[in-house]
Amino acid sequence: MTDNDSRAVAGRLSVAVLGAGLIGIDLMTKIARSDHLDLRLVVGRDEATSGLRQARQFGVPVATGGVQSLVDREPFDVVFDATSASSHAEHVEKLAPSGTMLIDLTPSRNGQMIFPTVNRADICAHRDLSMVSCGGQAAVPILHAISQAHEIDYIEVVTTAATLSIGRGTRMNLDEYVDTTQEAVRCFSGVTDVKAILNISPSRPPATFRVAMSLLGRDLTIDSLHSIVLAAAAEVRSFARGFEVKACTVNDGEGFVAVEVTSSGDRVPRYAGNLDIINSAALLAAESYAADRLSIAGEVYS
Amino acid sequence: MTEVTSRNVAGDKPIQIHDPTLRDGHHAVRHSLGAEQLRAYALAADAAGVPVVEVGHGNGLGASSLQVGRARLSDDEMLTVTRDALTNSKLGVFMLPGWGTIEDLKNAIAHDVDLVRIGTHCTESSLAERHLGFLREQGVEAHAVLLMSHMATPGKLAEHCARLVEFGATGVGIMDSAGHYLPADVTERITAMCGAVDVPVIFHGHNNLGMAVANSIAAADAGASILDACARGFGAGAGNTQLEVLVPVLERVGYRTGIDLYGLLDAADVAERDLMPAPPTVDSISIVSGLAGVFSGFKTPVLDVSAREGVDPRDVFFELGRRQAVAGQEDLIVDVALALRGAGTGDRS
Repeated sequence: MTDNDSRAVAGRLSVAVLGAGLIGIDLMTKIARSDHLDLRLVVGRDEATSGLRQARQFGVPVATGGVQSLVDREPFDVVFDATSASSHAEHVEKLAPSGTMLIDLTPSRNGQMIFPTVNRADICAHRDLSMVSCGGQAAVPILHAISQAHEIDYIEVVTTAATLSIGRGTRMNLDEYVDTTQEAVRCFSGVTDVKAILNISPSRPPATFRVAMSLLGRDLTIDSLHSIVLAAAAEVRSFARGFEVKACTVNDGEGFVAVEVTSSGDRVPRYAGNLDIINSAALLAAESYAADRLSIAGEVYS
Repeated sequence: MTEVTSRNVAGDKPIQIHDPTLRDGHHAVRHSLGAEQLRAYALAADAAGVPVVEVGHGNGLGASSLQVGRARLSDDEMLTVTRDALTNSKLGVFMLPGWGTIEDLKNAIAHDVDLVRIGTHCTESSLAERHLGFLREQGVEAHAVLLMSHMATPGKLAEHCARLVEFGATGVGIMDSAGHYLPADVTERITAMCGAVDVPVIFHGHNNLGMAVANSIAAADAGASILDACARGFGAGAGNTQLEVLVPVLERVGYRTGIDLYGLLDAADVAERDLMPAPPTVDSISIVSGLAGVFSGFKTPVLDVSAREGVDPRDVFFELGRRQAVAGQEDLIVDVALALRGAGTGDRS
């Protein structure tokens, strides 16, 4: 019996969250609801942060000291990395030897990109999963579906997030956000000419998380685009309930699709669908992995 | 309104004119300027002694897009031709984090750019921290500007300016991106900002309500020492502060710009002849954009989408203002037009 097997004996995988910002704390709440994941630690920068305070109040053990505090403890089956893009490679290096599955919520572009409705089958074959970006999670399922049916020459993805939903990590990682989102769109649409843009809105009440996609493709028609987009959106709603199509138009070979995502609750307000969709996708990835590891009959979600 | 008695306060104070004709003007012509146009104006501005000539797509480096308009020339082409035309003037560029990245800054530096401006929405200065830090490390002169500044209070603007200086900006200021200000608004804001920082303060006006020159003089009187203006006001909607009007007015009230009047008037004539189908005018839609407090650059897409969807573009502007659209949120225009038309194209109508 290997170490990994013994850890899974209790019927739940041991889990830690690295990073106690907006993403980390919402994840904590989502993990706590899982039947197959056992949240054992939340790691923050220092004791005084509001994230660690919330974790402690929530009854989860907390630690400071970054990735080293994970290495020093028992090996974890799953570690969610909610820190910063520039730190992720080091986290992989430190945690991979113990067989830990890393699920990366930073835009580091390090691991296997995962979009649950597109390539869920890839989850168990890798030990470093990239959730890409909130904009990527909202856009790629739609763009992947469109590019399967149409000849697309150019794709543009414009994300708008409310200022209150964008923490310091993301503010310092704007370039990585842009690069990684572009790379994911290229990879899953097969279109090379891709541009990603991020707007931050301070409007009151706060703007709902929104992703507007423009596509150039001579064979686009409104009937086809509309049905493809609605079908792909329905799939995404299986794990991100607040995913809605707000506009879908075609004019002179230019398709335009806007989606908005509201949060289903937990630690983030309704408008912050950006946090909700990437965390829900990350949770789904962890549960798929757990289902595989724990050999649960059938899927966690169907 | 308080009296803006410029003659009392202005002495022989120098003002640095920053000329974004070849950047902001792009909004008026769908980012379509060609190499010969850039060269002609850059040569004329350089000859007139304009201190800084800024070039680029209307939203700056890396911003060519369907969202705002695809540029005819690449950043590389624009930088090459403008750099080549400038002998004395500094070459300036503009970048919005989220639109351009450090790769775009590196590219501009490789083109020997002299001055980089980083812009953010007026309440989001922290988005500029990393890029200003990078420019400081590279030893490139970096300024920072707060867009759509009518959406924040004077106190908030002052706080954000102070943070931008901490991040490394050696000049900070505000853009009246919607042309919404009256002179007293400008006086109050620039005064607060000058009290918060000890670097040069920038004002960038738009003319939606016919106030751009008066607002710029108010800014100078309140302590701003860098003023933006474009030849013939070439810019989005009603246009920017008109350069060849601002400069002599500044000189008349006692500021020094170092710009040659005839050279300047010649450059403005070149701009009118070579860059634009017609000089900007305070048309009906621009007045509405100024009143609604919506970015002037929205004019062209609002007119396009409104015509297509059969709605009144004035209603679109007021609704965008109600939704507090920030510069860059052009994708909202379609939703607003569809909503005004009463069409449910979404899946949950």
